Amino acid sequence: MSHIDPQVHRVLDGEIPPDGLTPAQREQLDALTRAAHALSPLPRASVAARVMAEVRRPPESAGARLAHWLTERHAVTISFRPVWSLALAAALAAVAVIPGHGPGPVIGDQEGIAQFVGRFPGAKSVDVVGSFTDWRSGSVVLRDDDHDGIWRGTVVLPVGQHEYMFVVDGERWVTDPLAGRYVDDGFGRQNALLFVRSIAR
Amino acid sequence: MNSPRVLPTDRELSDPEVVARILSGDVESFGIVIRRYESGLLRYATRMLGHPDAAADAVAEGLVRAYRHLASCRDPARLKSWLYRIVGNRCRSHLARRSASDISLDDAPPLPDPSDTEASAERAEQLALVQRALETISPEKREAFVLKHVEGLSYEEMAEATGERIPTLKMRVHRARVALLEALKEEP
Repeated sequence: MSHIDPQVHRVLDGEIPPDGLTPAQREQLDALTRAAHALSPLPRASVAARVMAEVRRPPESAGARLAHWLTERHAVTISFRPVWSLALAAALAAVAVIPGHGPGPVIGDQEGIAQFVGRFPGAKSVDVVGSFTDWRSGSVVLRDDDHDGIWRGTVVLPVGQHEYMFVVDGERWVTDPLAGRYVDDGFGRQNALLFVRSIAR
Repeated sequence: MNSPRVLPTDRELSDPEVVARILSGDVESFGIVIRRYESGLLRYATRMLGHPDAAADAVAEGLVRAYRHLASCRDPARLKSWLYRIVGNRCRSHLARRSASDISLDDAPPLPDPSDTEASAERAEQLALVQRALETISPEKREAFVLKHVEGLSYEEMAEATGERIPTLKMRVHRARVALLEALKEEP
């Protein structure tokens, strides 16, 4: 295993000049400097046109998002959160899995059913946004029909891992405190992680 | 007589001024952000992922994400570190998703341009050799080495870009140097 003298590290960190290095130390310094130099050429490619096309695209209207959501097949995925919601989630999953008498949701092999549940007393609206909505609100709207502050919603998603957050009253982004697994969102907060399994198994 | 209003050029606008323009609805000003930071971000992502197409995807996704969440950039004076953080996260996601069937650097070494001279072909070969060595060290060490020695970020900027503490990053850079030196020795 290579060993690098602390003096070489100090030179590379810009703390001291390289004047006093021994030939062996200078050899290490030169090897690392050459490596950094070899990696330094800037790529010729550009993503500017692609990015600008995306940012210029006007945001979809709420009606268009709804139409888009309604015309696409959705998997029902259940994000089980508080303990008291487990029974409800299990019941929903059972309804989805056991063949019913009436027409039910068409769920593909690569789709699953889930429910989102969050406690937001006093909230006027609660949405779920995530990687499955392109982080836009309006397509997964939770409901609190009995006004007990518990907001629920069911959605069909592709099998796999998804990131999500709650959006309360259209402006407050809240990480699901009971998700269990999280990932850094790149903006100093964490997105909750949801794992969707196929109900076809 | 009124003198003509002179609009500031890209170079004259500070990052906070550019951010303020974009947030006030001037979408086109996001082009200034792209022109300022795209090259460095692409280089960083290429070194992290080892493949230019994957790097372009990570940077494009990161920049679109940055645009959509620009209002959450708490300190626009540190826009550069914030962008590196977002693109770094996209790179980590790509690395996590990468399957065994993905093209590795061994399959796709950087090709010299046909018009390149012998000297630049030699540089491309040197780049391929160092990149191969870089690929053998852990993503955390790779990121630390690239941010410090290729992108030239200070430890303070690296801390903002990665969310790690400065002593942790110093240790990681030191270990990355040792690991890279070792990997370079093993290259033919």
